[in-house]
Amino acid sequence: MFLRPAVLSLLLLAPAAHAQGLLNVSYDPTRELYREFNEAFAAHWEAQGNDAPQIETSHGGSGAQARSVIDGLSAQVVTLALASDIDQIAAAGKLPADWQSKLPHNSSPYTSTIVFLVRDGNPKGIQDWGDLTAEGVEVITPNPKTSGGARWNYLAAWAWAEKNGRDPAEFVGQLFANVPVLDTGARGSTTTFAQRGIGDVLLAWENEAYLALAELGEDQFDIVVPSLSILAEPPVALVEGNIADDAQRELASAYLDYLYTPEGQALAFKHYYRAWDASAADPEDVARFPELELVSIDDLGGWAKLQPEHFGDGGIFDQIYVAP
Amino acid sequence: MPGLGLSAGITFFMLTLVVFLPIGALLWQGANFGAANIWATINRDRVWAALWLSFRLSFLAACFNLVFGVILAWVLVRYRFPGRRIIDAAVDLPFALPTAVAGIALTALYAPNGVLGQLTNQIGWQVAYTQWGIWLALVFVGLPFVTRTVQPVIEEIETEVEEASATLGASRWHTLRHVIAPMLMPAALTGFALSLARAVGEYGSVIFIAGNIPLRTEIAPLLIVIQLEEYNYGAAGAIGLAMLAISFTMLLLINLIQIWSRRRIGHV
Repeated sequence: MFLRPAVLSLLLLAPAAHAQGLLNVSYDPTRELYREFNEAFAAHWEAQGNDAPQIETSHGGSGAQARSVIDGLSAQVVTLALASDIDQIAAAGKLPADWQSKLPHNSSPYTSTIVFLVRDGNPKGIQDWGDLTAEGVEVITPNPKTSGGARWNYLAAWAWAEKNGRDPAEFVGQLFANVPVLDTGARGSTTTFAQRGIGDVLLAWENEAYLALAELGEDQFDIVVPSLSILAEPPVALVEGNIADDAQRELASAYLDYLYTPEGQALAFKHYYRAWDASAADPEDVARFPELELVSIDDLGGWAKLQPEHFGDGGIFDQIYVAP
Repeated sequence: MPGLGLSAGITFFMLTLVVFLPIGALLWQGANFGAANIWATINRDRVWAALWLSFRLSFLAACFNLVFGVILAWVLVRYRFPGRRIIDAAVDLPFALPTAVAGIALTALYAPNGVLGQLTNQIGWQVAYTQWGIWLALVFVGLPFVTRTVQPVIEEIETEVEEASATLGASRWHTLRHVIAPMLMPAALTGFALSLARAVGEYGSVIFIAGNIPLRTEIAPLLIVIQLEEYNYGAAGAIGLAMLAISFTMLLLINLIQIWSRRRIGHV
């Protein structure tokens, strides 16, 4: 008898809470960032006089996550590794084709770049991209065909070769000839390098490299910053097709906008992303990023051109692996 | 035949739901993609290399399981020793374990810095991230099939049969070769076919230990996943169809051998 009011209130509350629900479909290395960001945003949203929102986040490979959304996963917000993955969702009619112009900075509230993680003391003396093709150097990177993040690795190497007068296709081919294990995802590569002890250098997102240092011990690995790398822009978008009503639209927009506030940006800095607005960030979090020359994806021609040319079926990456 | 209509109806309905419809969808996908496109997708060095790798290693793993699985079943049925029941239960573990867990565990053990990997590396034998690693993972997931299909048959074989053979003057080898082996043959072949079929389609455990280098350690199921990542459902279906066709041919062959071996011994 005592249970009944409790059960009743649960039944009544559940739909109300659901109306304030939000699903953010994200990629792998943002787990830690969004865990903290969701809490901060929920507190912010409540402080504005709203009910506590129920925010869920799903993580996985960027391409697989995009396919889930295309196949009907009801995400109101996507925060993926590549603009081209969100382009695919747009092509399926779930959001307008010009989605990337809706939010500042190409809809990328935070950016990152590709750096090298080497073993403690850098025994192979790796300083720049050119050292990666040396005889006997083993490079760990995931397969760009299965890992969205690895496409940035590949394109960063490509950009360096272009700027340094090397034949980029040949250089990238030599680099991948030095890869002994081609994992399917970025976390898999980090495990292969850090836990299994394979390889001399891991090509990693800067935020992943710092995370590996923090979690696996600073005495085991060093971060090497190459002379040039790529400006990796993991974009965010509101999925118009999955918005149920105005209340949900308001919540979803506020969620994305909060990423751009000084508080949201401070969290991005804290989780090793290069964000835009450092006004509320811990100065130490900002100071740890070294200066380097960054090439943007638009300098290379934009995803619409690069994706099919390099990573499409029979594209340049496929040509690296042809029968000897 | 009372109840034939009902049982046939249920059988056909369930088979349609769980087998024919998915395979039909795959064929439909292939039909939409077109025969020329399917052939263009399959007829590439990288795809042939992956198919050859997948089927060759699956066959070798199934062969190993055939021999080792029958011995294991024999030991479990014929001998009484402490811990027998625990080993008997452990045989099923590869069925129950998520394959990713198996793959990560095997990789951790056999990686160059793993407990066993350190030993094998000393003799210059690298297991993880080579074809050996793939083979090992396939042996792991396929082992219970042979043991579990052969075990009940061995339980049926009376020791008197062997004794009769011995009193008639047959040597132990002769008894094994001409009395025991023919009785075990059909069940062992079934186990072999199941183990082979399972290995061909295995993805979860292999992907961690394989290294996934195109032309060397890239399995066919990974190629399918790669095509899916490119939103290229047609090409993924084409490689799937190729695997289906090869698997079907192999299973058909095994069935024919089975029928032949049953005819030869005249019963079972």
